[in-house]
Amino acid sequence: EFLATPTIPPTTDPPNHAVESNVYNVASLVARNSSQMVVHSLHIFDRKGKTLFSKTYSKAAAIGQQQLRQTSQGPAEEDPVDEQRKLVFGMLFSLRELVGSLAPEGEKGGLHSIRTGASTLHNYETLSGVRFAMYTTNDVGGADASSSSRRSSAAAESNVSVRDALRHIYTELWVESVIKSPLYRPGEMSTVGQRSSGSGGGDAFDIRSTNFEKKLDSFLQSMPWFR
Amino acid sequence: MSKSSASASGHALWSKMPKANTELFALTYGSLVTELIRDYDNADEVNSQLDRIGHSIGVRCVDEFLSKAEVGGINIPPCQTMKDTADVVARIGFRMFLGVSAEVANHAPDGSAFSLFLYDNPLSIFVELPTAEEAAVISGGRGGCDLSKIKYSNIYCGVIRGALEQVNLKVDCRFVRDV
Repeated sequence: EFLATPTIPPTTDPPNHAVESNVYNVASLVARNSSQMVVHSLHIFDRKGKTLFSKTYSKAAAIGQQQLRQTSQGPAEEDPVDEQRKLVFGMLFSLRELVGSLAPEGEKGGLHSIRTGASTLHNYETLSGVRFAMYTTNDVGGADASSSSRRSSAAAESNVSVRDALRHIYTELWVESVIKSPLYRPGEMSTVGQRSSGSGGGDAFDIRSTNFEKKLDSFLQSMPWFR
Repeated sequence: MSKSSASASGHALWSKMPKANTELFALTYGSLVTELIRDYDNADEVNSQLDRIGHSIGVRCVDEFLSKAEVGGINIPPCQTMKDTADVVARIGFRMFLGVSAEVANHAPDGSAFSLFLYDNPLSIFVELPTAEEAAVISGGRGGCDLSKIKYSNIYCGVIRGALEQVNLKVDCRFVRDV
């Protein structure tokens, strides 16, 4: 007898096909429930808006950056990707002010995530002004009405887990590798855009001298939703 | 933050930090100050060097403090007044890093200044600074620095200054009375 949802195969299939399609359908069901997010990139800003660290993970984001570079019309010295990051920081900053003024009296309001049609930007910031911003894809889409409640709770779960991950990146990785490094000086960190300028940032502290990036990569690889 | 919750938070955070031997810590600091005196030979210069060292320590302390509080589930709300800042620094901050709480007193009427009393200073448990007459006798031969003018624990001033700078508070910190 046929069941209403398309994921359960009809029982009249021959045994081999039933097994295969069963496995396939179970897999897709599981995948639909777990977060199928792809992390696009991660940016770290300081209090003044300088980009301290930035890394793209997915191919889509890397392609987007390349296209931006190729099609930019601006002057030759300005890196359009840098400009884009400044815009992101500006947006986060303005939204934080807005959220702060909208929050009810006495409660700490903060900007957790911004969700657009294309992607979601997760934001975590500390009192010392360090801001972590991670771009991911939106959660599992699809027009399956019956699992919409499951989908929204899965979406909520995955939002929370990204925030937890950002918190972990801050407490375990950032503080341990960068802050505790003896060369760290807050006002003089070399920003990402300065990498190509050669000897300009002689005294400034470069994140590459710590193993922050390696630890970050291995942490993100270990996350179940990272691809 | 209420007094008891602040002390409880401080104590909880203190128990999570890796510990070092107090005497080793005090003696290391003492040898650092001795070297500074030998290098600079001028009390004001030594004081400002200690302040500078404290400043770079303080800059790091803030992020560590905030991250350990996050992990420990202790909520540190953003301070509304200077009084809150004073309480957080004295009760939680000092407790977490040094294991001793400082007392807060003497708030200025406009809320722009306060005093911290540190009754048990772990850095100066073996130290006695000479008074002005003794210092004159000691340094008479070398014509060098006036040991009684050295603020032995001036590093604290730097730490507080550096830490508060990271949360957008520019403060001036001075020792009123030392060992």
